[in-house]
Amino acid sequence: MKKLIPLIAMMFLLLIAAACADEEEASGSGDSGDTAESSDWAPESPIEIVAPAGAGGGWDTTARMVAKVFTEEGIIDESIGVVNKAGGGGAVGWAYIAGQDGSPHNMFVASPPLLFIPLNGQSEYGHEDFTPIANVIADYAAFAVAADAKWDNLNELFDDMKEDPSSITVVGTSSPGSMDHIQFVQIAKAAGVDVTKIKYVSDQDGVGLTQLLNGSVDVFSTGVSETVEQVKAGTIRVLGVTSEERLEGEVLEDFPTAIEQGIDETFVNWRGFFGPPNMDEAAIAYYEKKFKELSDSEAFAEIRGQFGWDEMYMGSEEYSQFLDEEKENIQTLLDELGLGE
Amino acid sequence: MGSIEGILTGFQVAFSLEGILFVMIGVFVGTFIGMLPGLGPISAIAVMIPITFGMDPTPALVMMAGVYYGAIFGGSTSSILLNAPGVSGAVATAFDGYPMAQQGKAGKALAIAAICSFIGGTVSVVLLMLLAPLLSSVAISFGPPAYFALMLMGLTAISSLSEGSTIKALISAVAGFIIVTIGIDAQTGTQRFTFGNVNLLEGLDFLVIALGLFALAEVCTLIIKRKDLSQDTHKLGSMRLSKKDFNEMKGPVTRQSFLGFILGVLPGAGATIASFIAYITEKKISKNPEEFGKGSVKGLAAPETANNAATSGAFVPLLSLGIPGSGTTAVMLGAFLVLGVQPGPLLMTDRPEIFWGIIASMYIGNVFLLVLNLPLIPYFAKILKIPRPLLISLVIMFSIIGVYAISFNTFDLYMLLLFGVVGFLMRIFSFPAPPFILAFILGGMMEQAFRQSLTISNGNLMVFVNDPIAISLLIVALLSFIFPLIRVLRKRKG
Repeated sequence: MKKLIPLIAMMFLLLIAAACADEEEASGSGDSGDTAESSDWAPESPIEIVAPAGAGGGWDTTARMVAKVFTEEGIIDESIGVVNKAGGGGAVGWAYIAGQDGSPHNMFVASPPLLFIPLNGQSEYGHEDFTPIANVIADYAAFAVAADAKWDNLNELFDDMKEDPSSITVVGTSSPGSMDHIQFVQIAKAAGVDVTKIKYVSDQDGVGLTQLLNGSVDVFSTGVSETVEQVKAGTIRVLGVTSEERLEGEVLEDFPTAIEQGIDETFVNWRGFFGPPNMDEAAIAYYEKKFKELSDSEAFAEIRGQFGWDEMYMGSEEYSQFLDEEKENIQTLLDELGLGE
Repeated sequence: MGSIEGILTGFQVAFSLEGILFVMIGVFVGTFIGMLPGLGPISAIAVMIPITFGMDPTPALVMMAGVYYGAIFGGSTSSILLNAPGVSGAVATAFDGYPMAQQGKAGKALAIAAICSFIGGTVSVVLLMLLAPLLSSVAISFGPPAYFALMLMGLTAISSLSEGSTIKALISAVAGFIIVTIGIDAQTGTQRFTFGNVNLLEGLDFLVIALGLFALAEVCTLIIKRKDLSQDTHKLGSMRLSKKDFNEMKGPVTRQSFLGFILGVLPGAGATIASFIAYITEKKISKNPEEFGKGSVKGLAAPETANNAATSGAFVPLLSLGIPGSGTTAVMLGAFLVLGVQPGPLLMTDRPEIFWGIIASMYIGNVFLLVLNLPLIPYFAKILKIPRPLLISLVIMFSIIGVYAISFNTFDLYMLLLFGVVGFLMRIFSFPAPPFILAFILGGMMEQAFRQSLTISNGNLMVFVNDPIAISLLIVALLSFIFPLIRVLRKRKG
């Protein structure tokens, strides 16, 4: 029995270490803080950023990288902890933040699913229920086909889809009515394809790429950065990306946009930060300024390069308008597909 | 750069002081987190990600890989001692490991698990090293029809996973099928059986069910059976294995090292499915299948070998294609990206020191795991010496911690409780739990694969016949279903 005590103690220590890992990582705070304090509000207690998904995903990575730059560059002196609240594709985390009404020390990271999931009736909270603080980065969709596929550009693909929609299958990770599906539908619609006839299958755990490589499906609708390695290795080709202009960077610059192929449509996978409902004006102003500083910093530019993200800063008001417009677009598409609530 | 050169670079990395140190840290952390009931590789890797910030990618990834297979290695301990699997890949380990421990052979059971894990792990690393570049084509060879056939083949084992009534086993399996449909259906985006509750949108986590049906149900049974508590402690038994034990282990270990590895290579299959299929195949080909489930050496050796072999196998699609085949490898992929390394077809040529370094470090990792685990077995086994009331409380506590750690959501705890009660009632009315778990694991993927196949083929069922892999697997499934029937019919005639 005596020998067991150290063992149990060790188990406890591990657990405690696991629980504290987030805080520890964030609390090594910089002591510079020589930024001019012009706004009259500043955080008085540690800031909590919720990533409404598990560790290692896009939201989690964005939140952790932002927290890291805020701390290491001394942009925010107060310590910042990233907390994962997974479940319901984000809905569980949103419900949690909605309960922090007015708190200036809580925020969460979000991207288009914040629009999709409520529209699909899977969350009672949508972007209107929160306080948009700032958008930080943009990512774009890419439509890839196998290296030996017969299509050389989006128009050839879409022409075949118009002719015989049953011959082409599109694969993505998310379920119909969510991002991977809608980003494809949006572009296809602009090209004149009957979007109700698009064959879409959802495949979790990264199997979508597998299905493209073994020829089970024809088109992979995904994020731009997920395609780069495969394109370099020559296993797949990207027919089009959904950005306004060509992206920068090795390989990325070779991807043609839908627009230059005559399809006048874009899709932005934006990523930004939101506060709880009724966040104080002064706090919004404070964070807006800090996010701008982060977005302009060299350290964050380096991170953007590392993950293949694009710069896309929007302040609270502009962000809010942008989101309303995006939501309307998606609503129209979902109605057409017969998927909306 | 040629492969030989690459492999040598890998060993150079792995055998450097830094390499050895970080492998040691990785497997040490992994094996301890894996031992805790309910905490598996996902939590272990997630905990380590922030620690690797700013580290050089090679040692960091060598360490993360160590955490991963270390957690699978350690996962068997709580399965065997407490019937509380910490990792989904260790559920099948409990089938024979726990009865063995209950028979006073806990030391032996842990030793078998450690040795089989070591062999499974090492053999599969050899395969990984020799075949990784070739196997990447195997990893993508399975289309949806083939996955459907593979899952169906696994399901034919339901009857062989149960003692007694086949009808009750089937009912239990059907319940598992129903439970796995809870959540948003991936193919349509429709909610199924969620009752508008956000907590059910992503379905139930495997661990909630496993810990409920196994650990909590066991605890309830122990409480009901309450004997004279003061005298009721187990014998731990010697951890020495006899020649007979080794002879029994030989077959399953050899076969399952290979089978487990291949199943691990397939994205989506992974350690859990490998361990179940290993258990089932060994039971099917065994001369005395009636020993399975009652503390059979083979029944313990098979899943323990396979889950570790599958873990190395899972590195094939991750490292050579950049495809994460499971939730755990998806978190691993996240760890790669955070460190600025993009796994994919070019990793082997662009960053040979990382590609081969990770693989080479697995040899050392597995040796460390064995050396770390074997001497500690007598101490772990002493957990069973804890007075029963205290032990029961500990199991409950760890189950709760494990489930809470999945997503820090108290709703999961109510579900755990619910499945504890369900599991307990199933025991009272002698409905076997393994078919439930098997249907839960295979059912979800089987349904999705079936519907993907039909969407792709525009509803034509011939898609399952035209796919050579699918049809072969379906024939095997059919045979394994028919043979027992024929045997029964013959017996009746005779």
